[in-house]
Amino acid sequence: MILGKKLHIAILNIIFIVGLFLINNPNIYGQETMEDATLSVDFSEEDGRKTVIATAVDQFGVPIEELDLYFYVKRTFSLLPIGDIFNSTDENGVVEVQFPDDLPGDTEGNIILVVKIIESDLYNDLSLEITKNWGIPAQIDQAEEKRSLWAAAANAPITLVIAVSGMILVIWFIIFYIIFVLFKISKITPIKT
Amino acid sequence: MRKYNGNLQKFETRREKDLLGHLITTSLKYKVWIAFLLLIIAFGMFGYYRQIKYGLIVTAMRDYTSWGIYISNFVFFVAISLVGSLFSSILKLNKNEWARPLTRVSEIIAVAAIICAAVIIIVDMGRPDRFFYVIKYLRIQSPIIWDVIIISTYLVISFLLLFISVLPDLALCRDRLIEIPKWKKRLYRITAINWNNDPKQMAMLKKVSTILAISVLPVAFAIHTITSWLFATTWRPGWDSTNLGPYFVSGAFMAGAAVIIVAMYFMRTELKLKAYITESHFDKMGKLLVLLSLVYLYFNINEYLGPAFKMVGVEGEHITELFVGKYAPMYWFVQLGGLILPIILLTFKNLRKPIPIAIISIFVILGAWFKRFLIVIPSLQHPYLPIQGVDESYLHYNPTWEEWAITLSSFAWLLLIITVLIKLFPIIPVQKAENISKKAVEKILQQ
Repeated sequence: MILGKKLHIAILNIIFIVGLFLINNPNIYGQETMEDATLSVDFSEEDGRKTVIATAVDQFGVPIEELDLYFYVKRTFSLLPIGDIFNSTDENGVVEVQFPDDLPGDTEGNIILVVKIIESDLYNDLSLEITKNWGIPAQIDQAEEKRSLWAAAANAPITLVIAVSGMILVIWFIIFYIIFVLFKISKITPIKT
Repeated sequence: MRKYNGNLQKFETRREKDLLGHLITTSLKYKVWIAFLLLIIAFGMFGYYRQIKYGLIVTAMRDYTSWGIYISNFVFFVAISLVGSLFSSILKLNKNEWARPLTRVSEIIAVAAIICAAVIIIVDMGRPDRFFYVIKYLRIQSPIIWDVIIISTYLVISFLLLFISVLPDLALCRDRLIEIPKWKKRLYRITAINWNNDPKQMAMLKKVSTILAISVLPVAFAIHTITSWLFATTWRPGWDSTNLGPYFVSGAFMAGAAVIIVAMYFMRTELKLKAYITESHFDKMGKLLVLLSLVYLYFNINEYLGPAFKMVGVEGEHITELFVGKYAPMYWFVQLGGLILPIILLTFKNLRKPIPIAIISIFVILGAWFKRFLIVIPSLQHPYLPIQGVDESYLHYNPTWEEWAITLSSFAWLLLIITVLIKLFPIIPVQKAENISKKAVEKILQQ
């Protein structure tokens, strides 16, 4: 009786473990393992029209069709989306996005383009950053760099630096002179009679 | 512990006995006074402990009233510290011989006040552990940095002024005082820096004393002018004024003179110095206080007349609040009780006697303290940008008990430093080392 009960429990355990294995195996449910896609980005500029061309291929080099890619330009605090809401690849794995003409870049006009695969059913998330000089060169206000009352400590107005340092030097020179005289006073010994 | 009752101590002259006597004996009254001050300090320390533990939220300071009674107290202490320069420089260089016995007490008060001013600034900081960031990230463009520099400079100069004045008497204490504890003997020996009344030493001391008397004046003017610039460089009603520098400096001299009169009164009665601080001193100080108050009154009229005549916008609101609004009782107490009435009363000779003038001076001091409150707080409650969508508590400022405790304890510290210094050093010059002629100085120094 006892043996029969043990066997019964052992069989149940095996069924349970096999069940767990089956549940966690994506092949059973038609799910494939997430793959890594590869993105490549080209830029084309014709008649002043700037286009970003992204190509997605799988690990065997086969173009991926109908994959949503997300395009952004990095700004100071967040990513600015460009292109349409959804940008899906065609049968060649290619998607084209128009790049706006009016985006400010750094002082040399460089912007950072970010292309992403986000939450795809088949491919792992991916983020690609490319620097391109398609932005409008930023004009940094030189006033901030000049010596002024509101500038950083290193750019204090030179007249102020001279005036304040001059006054400090004069008064501390007097203080140290007085301390020096006091020191000399302490060295005078009484004349022995 | 050995008891010192002064029985063994012998003095050569009556002057020495009168002026050094209090350094030997300690009365019960003195001990009770010190204990009382320490009690207040302990209370304040508890308040500060809470402030450190919970942060500045224990104060009533919020986004708008970000400077409270700590800063008004700071301005008051800086003002008081100017009195050292009034006696050591202005009255000395003008050869007011009568003021000489009061020089040392003015220097002691100056030292105590400037120490308290420096400490109260740290108390006002939410993160006192970051105090040295002020130096580390120094921006020479900031008036706060100018203030830090000038306060430390004036602190050193005040110490030097006191030390140079007291030096010959330190040697006298070293040589004469027998019946004192060992640490005191050692203190006098070290601080007397081998002073032995040598003519050369006297000549050198006289020289540095004159140099210091001249150089302390611009520093003293600078310290309070810069304190006024902390306000004048900030765009707020009541502060946006070119008058603020002289207004602060003149107010400081007035408050300082009143503090000296009160100090004189207690020195005279407690240390039995009636022969040295005479009624004539009170009379002269009374006249000086009237003069200084008149100058301050002049700057007060300048300060309020312009904005009160125009009554423009927020500036007008500020003036209305002071003249007839919620700060009116304090404002009129300050202006009438602390300024105009003292001027009128002190023109009567009988009211320049020790007791009445001491009482009037206490009113002047109270007026001076509350005046600083009125300079700092109402202005902060009237920013040029409208106050919108803030907590109700941001609109008012009623100092919490922690703030009062800390402020009271800062006064206790001030009085403690003064009392201890008076107990350590002769308060009136015993030796007349400075009475050496200019010609003699030149002759000795040439040798």
